[in-house]
Amino acid sequence: MSLNGKRILIAKPGLDGHDVGAKIIALALRDAGADVIYTGLRRSPDYIARVAVDEDVDAVGLSILSGSHKELVEETARCLAELDAGDIHLFVGGTIPSEDHDELRQAGARGIFTAEMDLDEVVAAVEADLNA
Amino acid sequence: MSETSSNPRRALSRALSRIANADVAETLAQQGAVPTPEMSRIGVTGAPGAGKSTLIARLAKLRKGEDHKIAVLAIDPTSPVSKGSILGDRIRMDAIADDPNIFIRSIPSRRSHDGLADNTADLLAAMEGHGFDEVILESVGVGQAEYTIRTLVDTVVLVLLPESGDAIQAMKAGILEMADIYVVSKADLPGAELMVAEIQQVAERQTADGWAPPVISTSRNDLEGFARLDAAISAHAKWRKARMDETATQRARARYQAQGLIARRIDEIMEADNSLLDLDPRGLFDALIAKLNPSRRDA
Repeated sequence: MSLNGKRILIAKPGLDGHDVGAKIIALALRDAGADVIYTGLRRSPDYIARVAVDEDVDAVGLSILSGSHKELVEETARCLAELDAGDIHLFVGGTIPSEDHDELRQAGARGIFTAEMDLDEVVAAVEADLNA
Repeated sequence: MSETSSNPRRALSRALSRIANADVAETLAQQGAVPTPEMSRIGVTGAPGAGKSTLIARLAKLRKGEDHKIAVLAIDPTSPVSKGSILGDRIRMDAIADDPNIFIRSIPSRRSHDGLADNTADLLAAMEGHGFDEVILESVGVGQAEYTIRTLVDTVVLVLLPESGDAIQAMKAGILEMADIYVVSKADLPGAELMVAEIQQVAERQTADGWAPPVISTSRNDLEGFARLDAAISAHAKWRKARMDETATQRARARYQAQGLIARRIDEIMEADNSLLDLDPRGLFDALIAKLNPSRRDA
């Protein structure tokens, strides 16, 4: 199994200005064979959804450290659906308390990744989801 | 995955993926009639870090309009180890990413080693079919090999950094002799004037076909420089229309596309059966030629 041929957008919605985690994930996905696009910091969910459409990605990974993960995941899912792109898979990573996981899954997140997980685990989960 | 979508941008985006991912047999099956070239094609090349993406963002903003839709195809290198890529050009095109008259697509180079990507010719043709008036193609920026971009675009813009003297040496016999317009970017850095003078000498020797390539310096805070570049591109397009042999251009593009398809087909054959590689050179050559025969496609 590999991520060859899969296109993934790594995006930083919201106001937190830390993207070391996002960049590490981007490189790990690249090393697993994916074509990775990174949006840069502080993007709106609407912007992220439009880039996801233009770049025809298989998945969007949101990196969120600000605590507003619920709003941002919901909003990104809504924007994607509005652009007829609700089938693009959504992942979220960052500082996300376990009590929020159910709600995020309901909002459309197919994977939730926290700092405690190791990189291989994250990449394997993305691989399994996109190759399913 | 279907290509039909209520969102035309998504439909285009899907179509481009299908073309980019097509293997040789699929690519051949998808060939339509050769389109009449109406969309103008600008190629931007130059070493990594020279400022190609930033320059394209400025240029696209100057050239777009309600009745002048612009597509950007930005090619980034594929890792030979993982076959993955980081497509990072887009991040520098922030200023135009929100514009409905501009469409940006990032593409990995995949197997291609000429600074472009697999199926670049077909991607350009698809853009043409989707109502864009102009496409700007950003090459990987690997240096000397990049003159192939010359074949696929109408106007080649070469972006150089001040103080890239060694790079100039390396490029002397390649792209440096084939650009239609030279840009010295980041011209507020030391060494820019010297660089401009050096390039002017190169440019002055290149008037054989009647076009004298201008040398333009640009820097972040100098909007005039980008306006001069915009004007130079339009002037070159006009000159080209009056002077260039369209048949020769189409023939050169057909030749590039055919060579690329055959090279990739050979790669596919060797990947499918790598025991072929144990043959001596002559035997390998004969085996590959035999397998290229369409009646033995299944081989």
